Formats: sequence, C-alpha cells, structure tokens
Amino acid sequence: MHRVSAPRIRGRRWLAAGAAVATAVVLAACGSAAGGGKTSASGGGAKGKTVTMWLVTTGPSPANTAVENLVKSFEKSHPGDHIDYNFVENQSYKQKIQLAMGAGNAPTIFWTWGGGTLQQYIKAGDVASLGHPSWMSDFLPSSLGAVTDQGKLYGIPVEGTQPVYFFYNKQIFSKYHLTFPKTWNELLSTVKTLKSHGVTPISLAEGDQWPGLMYLEYLTDRIGGPSVAQALQSNKKGAWSNPAVTKALSDIQQLVRAGAFQSGYDSLKFSGGGSDALVYSGKAAMQLMGDWDISSILGSDPSFVKGGNLGMAPFPTVAGGTGNPADLAGNTASYVSISSKATATQKKIAEEFFADALTSPSYAKSEVGAGEVPVTKGASPMFAGQSLASYDKTIYNSVEHAPSFQYSWDQAMTPQVANVMLTNLAQVFELSETPAKFESLLNNQAASGS
Amino acid sequence: MLGAGPPMLLFCLFIVVPMIAAVLMSFVKWNGLGAPRWAGGANWAEFFSDPVARTSVEVTVKLVVLSYVVQTPISLGLGLFTAGRQRYKTVYATIFVLPLLMSTAGIALLWESLLDPNFGALTALSKSTGLSFLNQNWLGDPHLTLYVVVAIIAWQFIPFHTLLYAVGRRQVPQALYEAALLDGASPWQMLWRVTLPQLRYTIVTSGILMIVGSLTYFDIIYIMTDGGPGYTTRVLSLDMYNVAFLQDQYGYASVLAVILSVVGIAIAIGLVRFSGFASMASQQEGAA
Repeated sequence: MHRVSAPRIRGRRWLAAGAAVATAVVLAACGSAAGGGKTSASGGGAKGKTVTMWLVTTGPSPANTAVENLVKSFEKSHPGDHIDYNFVENQSYKQKIQLAMGAGNAPTIFWTWGGGTLQQYIKAGDVASLGHPSWMSDFLPSSLGAVTDQGKLYGIPVEGTQPVYFFYNKQIFSKYHLTFPKTWNELLSTVKTLKSHGVTPISLAEGDQWPGLMYLEYLTDRIGGPSVAQALQSNKKGAWSNPAVTKALSDIQQLVRAGAFQSGYDSLKFSGGGSDALVYSGKAAMQLMGDWDISSILGSDPSFVKGGNLGMAPFPTVAGGTGNPADLAGNTASYVSISSKATATQKKIAEEFFADALTSPSYAKSEVGAGEVPVTKGASPMFAGQSLASYDKTIYNSVEHAPSFQYSWDQAMTPQVANVMLTNLAQVFELSETPAKFESLLNNQAASGS
Repeated sequence: MLGAGPPMLLFCLFIVVPMIAAVLMSFVKWNGLGAPRWAGGANWAEFFSDPVARTSVEVTVKLVVLSYVVQTPISLGLGLFTAGRQRYKTVYATIFVLPLLMSTAGIALLWESLLDPNFGALTALSKSTGLSFLNQNWLGDPHLTLYVVVAIIAWQFIPFHTLLYAVGRRQVPQALYEAALLDGASPWQMLWRVTLPQLRYTIVTSGILMIVGSLTYFDIIYIMTDGGPGYTTRVLSLDMYNVAFLQDQYGYASVLAVILSVVGIAIAIGLVRFSGFASMASQQEGAA
C-alpha cells in the first residue's frame, strides 16, 4: 500500500476476552516488578555500538525499503555502528511499546505518533530530549509540534504527512452541475441537491469512530481558530465548553439531521473499504478522509483515480468563523524518538542517525519515491514524475503554507481523554447525545483522567 | 498426592498469582509507565459512580440472560432431534455443526458483510424481494444491535450445545423408555419424566458454559460493533479492554477484571451447588 492506510486504528484485533483478562493480569504482574527495582539500562538488550530501532508497518511497503536503505548507507558511512531494526505490525505496536516502556526495556530508537501518548512517556522520564538541534530548520515548522513538549524537541519525522481533505466523485458533481462547496452553508445546500437526486451526499465510516472526529477538528478550527484545540489538548479546565466546540457539535448534528450521511453510517468501518466503495461506485458524492484515501481508492478501483475522477478539496469555511481557511487537520507526520534508558554511546549513534540520515534530502527523495509526502523543506520539486504527483504536490503545498496544522485529537490528547471523546462523539453523530452532555462528560474526563 | 505437585505449581503460577496481582492492582493508579501510585478504594468507588460501567453491567446481564434463554431451548430441541440414529438425522447433525468449525473472527466478518446496509446480502435480498423489513440498520440501530449480536452468538454456540445434548440423550438407557412405554406414558410425558431428568447434568454443564461464557464474551462484539452504537453493546469485558488498553488505566481495569472473575466463579459454583451436580450421583440404571 502507498501510505499507512489506517494509522489511527488502535489496539489489537481478534483478542478473546479470556486473553484480555489474562493479559491484564499478566500486566499486573509485570507492573509490580517494574515498579520495584531498577532495570537494565541497555535498552532492548543491545550492547556497545549497536542500537535497536522499532518501526511501524502495515505490511511490506516501499516506505520500509526506504528506511532499510537509509540504515544501510548510514552503517556504511559510520563504520562500527550498527542499527538493529524491526518492523512491528501497526495494530499491535501500541501495546508492545507501552509494555516495553513500562518495563524500562524500550529500544534505543522507537516509532511514535507523538502527541498525548509520547507526552506520557516524556512525563515518566522515558524519552531523551533532543534539545534544539540545528536540523530543526530542515523541516516544515508545522510538522514538529506533535513531538515538542514545553519548548523541547523529542522526535524527528520518519514518514510522511497525512492531512485530511474532502475526497469527492467528480462525475457526480459534474452530472448535477455542482462545484465543491466552499462554505458550510454551500455544503448544506449541496447536500440538499444531491439528496433530491437520490445520491447519498456524504460517505461516513463512523463505525471506526475516528472519521467523525475529523469533522469536529475542522469545524472547531474554522469557527474558533487553532487556540481552541490547543486549550483542549492541554486539558484546560472547562475547555470543552468553548462556544466554538458547542457550535461545531451542533453543526455536526445539523448535517446529520439534513440526512447527509448514508444509512448505517454509525456501523460502517473504513477498514472494510465500504466508505470508499460508496464514493467510487457513485452511490455517495464525497468523504472526509486522510490523504491515505487516495492510495486506498487507487488500490480498489485504479481506473477511477487514473481517469481523474477523484476530486480533492479543503474543508469549507464557516460563516462568522475566525479560523484561517488554509488551516489543516490530520496526522502531521510519523516520528522516531530516543529512549532515555539507552547508554550514552547508543544515544550518540541515534542522534547521528537523526542528524545525518533522516534529515538528508536523499531520504526525502526516496520517501517521495515510496509514495509519501515528506515534511522536509523544499521537497516540492521532488514530486515531478510521480504517479500521483498532482495530489502529492497539492498536499505538500497546503502543508507548507498552512498557518496551523492541528494534530489529530485522538493522537494529540492523552489516551484517557481520547477514548471517551471518540465514543461519545459517535453518539453525538447518532443524535443520541446532546452537545451539552458531550461537553460536560469531556470536561469531567479531562479533569480526572490526566 | 505427589503427582499433584507440578500441576498445582502451574495452577498457582498462572492462575492464582495473577489473580492476587489483579486484586492488588485494583488499589493503585497506574498507566503502564513508571511506578504505580496507591489509590486506596478510589478505583472501586469509581466503578460505582461510573455511568459507562453501569451501562456495561446492564448490557452484560441482558446478554447473559438472552443468550441463555435463546440458546437452551433451541440446543435442547436440536440435540434431541439429532440424537436419533436415522441416517438423515446424521446429515442434519453434520450441517448443524458447521458454525462450530469456523473461527470467531471469520464469523464476525462474515456477518458484518452480510448485514452491511449498503452492500450487504440482506439489503440486496430486501430490494429484490420487496421484503422491506430486511433492510435494517442491523449493526447501527441502538434498539436493534444487541439483539443482532445475541442472535449471532447463538448461531455460533448452539451447535456446540446441540452436540452436548445429543450425546447426553444417547446415553440415556433405552430400558427407561421401554419401562415408560409399558406404563403407558405419552411421548410428552417421556420427555418430562425421563429425558429431562436424565439430562439434568447436561443441562447444568451447558448452562454453566453458556452463562459464564456469555458473561466474559468479547470477540464477536469487539470485531463487529466494538461496543457500539454508543455504548449499547459495550459488555463488561469490552469495557475492561477499553479502560486497560485504550485508556491506559490499568488500576480501574483491574477492578473490572476482579468483578468479572468473582461473579463468573460465584455463578459457576452456585450452579454446581444448587443443582446437585457436585455430588455427581448417577441416577442411571446400574450405577452405584
């Protein structure tokens, strides 16, 4: 697959209850051991000039090869240094790294999505600060917020950016002489028109819960600007009662009441491909999704994308809102960080790997070759000749020029808040929970769960 | 008694020790990182004030009761039917047992695609036949989804219980039926006076497996609905999974784990006790 196709699906599937009980119980046992004594400082058991590195993958992909080649060339130019890397399956990684962190056994270099989970590790003293390295200026400024805590940097981008856009079926729009709506009100009237022609206006995979969050992220930003989300993410008291959040939630319910989403939107999952299928089969007109949707649709219906039928548009503006229409939401990038439990030698090798290898233009170029959109400055010319160059270039330019790129809330917030937020937002989408109830629940969770 | 050593050791190591650890864990706050913090009874107090936990308990109770009520009569009926030795019954028995051979994940994904409101087979069937009641939001309607889940779990487990009942029925001595026949018993009376009393241990065994099994049921719900829509299918085991592995609140999750284990064990012991199963006295002819 072209990009990490489902980066936010947390947790391991196919776990039996028995296994869950057993794991909880085993974890309990591990915990008491880890809490008691000091553990070895070797980090993953590696010695001397070898560092260990864990990366996330959704399967064999060109992006993996890019990293493998990068490690090879680094080892060549740094004789004696060795990076022992491992790709871990996307779904199980979160638990694997959490266990390793808790046991003081993390690899020297570990993959992270940044945000709230990384912040927990930082708070527990498990992550080495990188200070203010000179290579910071090599990256687009919006890409480093997810790995910055209290002014210090803790990670470096390793894979590309994944902003969220509306993806739409151009054939449907031209058939009914529509242009993609630029404002929320236009969106509502587009919904009305499409419905009158018997077309489902918007495809939504709310069975996964995170697709609905994208609406809340964008609406909050368009209405109240980026400061609203920042207050939420820092768990400010009562932050969820912000009028921008209230308006965003009621706008969502307005869209639901208008019948914008397909029947059964609350149980459909993105991973099954159904929400994409609605769009490319012409049953639904559009879907709000991360940019991995391009490769996802390309995989299911190549002729639809190659025939130029897949449109891409930014989220509409909201009348009276203060947010910049060029603001983005989504996954700013994927990162790697250094464990504080690594030895001084290991840390030094890891820092050299960051400064010499991950920042190199040749790595950015091989990322582009692998279908990623890197967050390195000046990457724009690299897209020439790529199969999806027009999309990738638009994405890169919008990230480069975005005044604010808010990081997906379910990653940015602590897991305690994120899970409750997702489940209750799904209920807002079902009209079974009022915005006021949602806000009071989240205010409480933010106060108690952090 | 010497031979009991190694098994007891393994039992303690993998069952008793972790259980004690879970009880201890339920009194700390811990997110998996650093040292756990002593929390006293805070986690337990949270359980009694947590609306999600209350909903989960209600959903779990509903699932257990419905599963038992749905699965027992059907399994018993099918079991008695397939216990006969006619060849066509063997064919039926083979067909009935098929779901037992499928993996749970496979069952969940199969039903998920059948019930898909846009591309699913039921929707297509409803369109081609005009049976509009088949066109439902099966996995997204808060008033419907729990019942759909109960039905699919029943579909998965009825074959196993059917098998239990069929085997149980085949072990009832034929002489009892012959005696009943001589006494002029009707088939209905034979069922109530001979078959069911003879099957009482099978009924208890199957009941314990059903009740304890649905009390801790997880996989199909996790894959198909993940507790949704809203919290309408969020059973206690799923809540525990969410609290532990998605919210990193291992202390509070241990409270849920302890409650699930204690209730499960208590129900199992209770059923064994009050049914006379513990004494294992055989009522069959010829047994001492």
